[in-house]
Amino acid sequence: MRLYKKEGNTLQILSFPNDNIEKGDYLIIEDSRVNKKLITQVIDVQFANVPGLLEELLRDSTTEDCVYGEDFDPLKVSSHINHIQDAWMLLCKIRGTLENEKPSVNVSWLPSRSKSGIERFSITSLLAQIDNGRNLPIHIGETKEKSPFTINAHDLDGTLNIVTGKKGTGKSHLSKLLVLGLIDYGATVIVLDLNGEYTNLGFSQNGEKNVYHDKVHVLTPGANLKVSLAQLDLRVMLNILVHALHLPGASTREFRRIWQFLNQRRASTLRELGEAIKSWKCNQHVRDALFSRYNSLLNSGFFTDIATEAVTFEEFFGETRKGGALILNLQDVSSVDRQIVVEYTLGKLVELLGQWKIRAVFLFAEEAHLYLRETYWDDIVTRMRHFGVFTTFVTNQPDTIRENIYRQADNIFLLNFTNERDLETVSRAARVDSETVKSIAHDLPHHHCLVLGKTVKDFPMVVKVRAYDVQTMGQTRLFFTSRDYARAEPQLR
Amino acid sequence: MEDESFQPNESGFKQYATSHQQNFEGATPILRTHDLLTIKSIPIKPLFCDTPVAAVDVSSIKIGETETGLLCAIRGAIVWKHDSRYSYLRFGPFPFHITEENKKEIYNLFKHHSFEISEDANAPNLANVPIRMGSLLERWLQLGISCSAHDSVILWDGSLTAGTADSPLNVVSQLLEISRNRLNTILAFSKTTNLRLLGHKLTDLGEKSWPPCLLQINGFPPQSGPVFSLGNVYVAKLTQGICSFRLDIDKEISLERGIEAVQKLLGNDLLIQSYPETLRLAHTFSTFTATEVIGIQHLIAQQYGLRIIARPNIRRLLFGPFGKGSEG
Ligand SMILES: Nc1ncnc2c1ncn2[C@@H]1O[C@H](COP(=O)(O)OP(=O)(O)OP(=O)(O)O)[C@@H](O)[C@H]1O
Ligand SMILES: [Mg+2]
Repeated sequence: MRLYKKEGNTLQILSFPNDNIEKGDYLIIEDSRVNKKLITQVIDVQFANVPGLLEELLRDSTTEDCVYGEDFDPLKVSSHINHIQDAWMLLCKIRGTLENEKPSVNVSWLPSRSKSGIERFSITSLLAQIDNGRNLPIHIGETKEKSPFTINAHDLDGTLNIVTGKKGTGKSHLSKLLVLGLIDYGATVIVLDLNGEYTNLGFSQNGEKNVYHDKVHVLTPGANLKVSLAQLDLRVMLNILVHALHLPGASTREFRRIWQFLNQRRASTLRELGEAIKSWKCNQHVRDALFSRYNSLLNSGFFTDIATEAVTFEEFFGETRKGGALILNLQDVSSVDRQIVVEYTLGKLVELLGQWKIRAVFLFAEEAHLYLRETYWDDIVTRMRHFGVFTTFVTNQPDTIRENIYRQADNIFLLNFTNERDLETVSRAARVDSETVKSIAHDLPHHHCLVLGKTVKDFPMVVKVRAYDVQTMGQTRLFFTSRDYARAEPQLR
Repeated sequence: MEDESFQPNESGFKQYATSHQQNFEGATPILRTHDLLTIKSIPIKPLFCDTPVAAVDVSSIKIGETETGLLCAIRGAIVWKHDSRYSYLRFGPFPFHITEENKKEIYNLFKHHSFEISEDANAPNLANVPIRMGSLLERWLQLGISCSAHDSVILWDGSLTAGTADSPLNVVSQLLEISRNRLNTILAFSKTTNLRLLGHKLTDLGEKSWPPCLLQINGFPPQSGPVFSLGNVYVAKLTQGICSFRLDIDKEISLERGIEAVQKLLGNDLLIQSYPETLRLAHTFSTFTATEVIGIQHLIAQQYGLRIIARPNIRRLLFGPFGKGSEG
């Protein structure tokens, strides 16, 4: 391999197919004159622009079809000619410098073109170099060299993360891996599980309970997740009414009075609330508005007056004290009810964190745009983060996540994307240049993930995400099974 | 002009290979105009009978210089058309390292095959060796074709001029004889020619005649000296268009047989701008391109550990086919 050109942060390196370089590989450029090595990453492999090649290809292709023949080439010169024709130009991004075997981001020097040696730098060695005590390793998968790839749970702490990729590429699979890894170290995790995919995390594939069984708590609204009005903060209730149920301002003011009235009488039950609205002296429009919202609350099945049915998040968090996940199963929950539940959960979370009843939680939100109201997005990256809510957004529609979230994301786990627009969106992430994202993510094989950000010390790395023995519900439900397919015989021809 | 319309890229080689050229340009006889010169136009028409057409061409090219000598490569191609299908056999590339040490051996090789090479001990001219090597391979391939073909049209690149270093008299006349005996006819097409008639380039003479035709030029002064032509010289204007080529046909065969061979060529091969496709393919298959030169340099460096100190300018090599031994 030879250094050919440098433009800004991009290097061009001449290489041949037998060097076996692929996108995502790291190369180290060693300049023997100075005791420094440049760390670069291959972001694209192109054909080298060999002079006269076009004429040659044209010549070959015009004769190929109509002329047959043989070559007497005893010295096998043609293999050398093909070798030249196959020359590659590697587009590389400069990632840092290795000085006295310590990586740094100082890249203010340029290695010699004639004197530099270029070698592959295995991800394994790179990981070893950037390792600053991976004392809480989470095993994500393996590197290209088949050595284990781990991230440090510390690097997820206090961070904002995004897991994205097109449909079916393994986003949820990877997120579950992160969830279990965090639980292992005693973290509290809340999953907003839109499709009920995380509900079986406590079981292995053969259906038996696994080691996580006691740490995974599935909360299904209306079933084992019902709450009493009494434990509801007025602020949370108003959020539900205004944001999930769109209660107009005048009615909200009236509701506030009713709520305070019930509170004073210690009669915060659904039944009492209904009675109060009925008999409350107010404008008929307001009453109608309040009543319809009341019915929505009632129908959600999320609220209960029966003391034995009602649960509290305090209890749940108690159970996760030594590490555990609360899976909020939003499958089969209507969109309005979903919002009610999410408003309640986030409100409760902030309340408990504010009172230091819990330390911090890791929140995993699948397709958050389907239930998270506008104002929460900013809240999550600012206020809630301060309170100790560390969010991971999981989505296959990257444009549903705001640009500022990409900019502030500490880690991005990027699976395959082929759509240019999606790639464009993701490439706005501040942690890496957009060419890297576009080029590498476009060609990521199945189950491979490009890890960007803090967990890899900003050395983007491709990892093959490992499989694990957990019952997954992630499979897309299909109409035709392979059995049907084999049996089927078309009647019409 | 022909030169340009045939292959615009030839000029690229010329710049690079001027030293090669001087030598063989000098070898082509410059004929002075003569009072008795006549030009006769012979109309021809395609003869559609199954006659195989074969063509031979060879290229040589300088690959670079080493501390001890010169690197070159040669490659030859035979293309034939039979049953409306083209086939080829390609030989090489054969790289050579010509040094002061092995020069003697090379001279002996040429001598053995009746090729002369300037052996002035004071000014050894290594630069000509690649072209001589190419000619040797070319004659060898021509011999192979002449001996194996029968009742065929054989196309050569160049002329039937003999008595030069690249065309020893006995070699060329022997080739012609073998061909005659096997009922083959050799048609030698020159892409350009330095022959001038009445102040015009010979190949410009076709302008006023209707193709397909041959212009027969009679009344050249009798040739003297070591260099002369073993063929009758024609200007071949075989298709519409601006191109015509010098065509040499064996003097020893009858005019009719010569014309018939051209007519068979017309009936059996594709002609584009007066030039036979079989010969064009042979040219294409033998010439070197820039990547091929780099590839050969790679082979030499890798397998023979030779360090190349001066390389030909690849930018120049860019201009397509070049490195032609016996043509300009
Ligand atoms: N690294 C992996 N090893 C083995 N199986 C995997 C891996 N990643 C994903 N899978 C499997 O592939 C299927 C799809 O994965 P997953 O549900 O995680 O994809 P997704 O990107 O979340 O899809 P969707 O866009 O539908 O949410 C699942 O059955 C999952 O078990
Ligand atoms: Mg999913």
